[in-house]
Amino acid sequence: MMDILLRRGGSFVLFVLLQVLVLNNILFYGFINPYLYILFLITLPSNLSRSTFLLIGFIMGLLVDIFSGTPGCHASACVLLCYLIPYLQNLFGPRSDHSSNVQPSFKTYGSGGFMQYAVILVVIHHFFFLLVEDGSLSDILWVLLKTLFSSIFTIMMIWILEMIKSKN
Amino acid sequence: MKALIRFFVRHRILILFIFLESLSLFLVVKHNQIQRTSFLNSSNALAGNIYQMSNSVSEYFSLEQVNHSLAKENTELKQRLSQVEEELRFLKQDSSYQGRKEMAIQKKYSFVTAKVINASYNKHKNYLTLDKGALDGMKVEMGVVNDLGVVGIVSSVSDHFSVVLPILNPLSSISVKLKGESKSGFLVWDGRDSETALLQEMPRYVKAAVGDTVVTSGYSSIFPEGIPVGRVKYVKRTNDDNYYMEVTLAADFSQLSYVDAMAFDNLDEEQELENQNLQKMEGGKK
Repeated sequence: MMDILLRRGGSFVLFVLLQVLVLNNILFYGFINPYLYILFLITLPSNLSRSTFLLIGFIMGLLVDIFSGTPGCHASACVLLCYLIPYLQNLFGPRSDHSSNVQPSFKTYGSGGFMQYAVILVVIHHFFFLLVEDGSLSDILWVLLKTLFSSIFTIMMIWILEMIKSKN
Repeated sequence: MKALIRFFVRHRILILFIFLESLSLFLVVKHNQIQRTSFLNSSNALAGNIYQMSNSVSEYFSLEQVNHSLAKENTELKQRLSQVEEELRFLKQDSSYQGRKEMAIQKKYSFVTAKVINASYNKHKNYLTLDKGALDGMKVEMGVVNDLGVVGIVSSVSDHFSVVLPILNPLSSISVKLKGESKSGFLVWDGRDSETALLQEMPRYVKAAVGDTVVTSGYSSIFPEGIPVGRVKYVKRTNDDNYYMEVTLAADFSQLSYVDAMAFDNLDEEQELENQNLQKMEGGKK
């Protein structure tokens, strides 16, 4: 139990630092920015209580916000994400045993199932985050364009990471 | 009562969700309203220190460019120094009343040199973090420049770090004019291109052409007059009285390393006077 907690905590810190120190500085064509840290949230195991889900999402979002100078933007998107995750886990996860501890991955969901699950969550998160960051509906086309391209990059990174994980 | 409790227990997840979501959105709204310091930006101790550590590694990669620009700045300063010495000699010879008066009117600015330890230029709202804070003499509303031109304005200060609102932020607005003209306009950013800003409220009777130099106007006390901001990239006559003007920025925001923050020494005094005047005028209205 302690072992799992330590490993989870470690990867939590690692994802936040990777996001704020490396990925936030990546620049494709001036506006494309992958937000890979949400991979931590979408691969949390299904036996977590929903309130824990929400609190972890809120804290992670807030931490990324503090470093990016966008108080509340990541936090609000992550809370929405963590509210939706259990529904999608029910939808895409293996149906046979409900109460057991399933961690979303290529192995448990199948590669197609997992990518569908990830794409839906990534697009929702990116769209909501970019909308809140922009702060108005007047530039909705610009927000949609940024959502599309940033999502593509995040999803590609998730796919590569999960591929490596499933090979090991 | 029982029903109420049962309602809360049944919908506790939804209630927690709504609570956290409102809290986040409250932070967003509050941050957009006041750009003053809050503990939730990168001027706080934890974020500031981690950024400083990260910067102390990454700065090695740009040492060559930094050296280059420092050397260039050095020669320019030497040239300026010799010019000033010349002028001084001239003034000593001819200490006429007019000359002395002009010297006295010159506004005095004090400088703090700081290192940029975190910068974004590809976001919708960009910020810079500097490694100097209130203890080093940084103050809110100081103007920030580098050797190429204007960078931005200090928006919040903690003891050891400070955050700058650069030109590349839709909340920034700087009073500028075309070199050689007296009419001023506002430089704002539309959130698109990190090398281009818009010059607004520049009336059409001012002569403007592509390639004209844009400098600070000196009408606010944040920047002295004549610091370069950029060059006019595109001019179009619109249907109203003003031009539509795009400006290529002088400072390269993707490669900021050292900047100078400057404050007009009597800023507090001037602002106090202006506030007093404002209160008097409001009192007069009543």
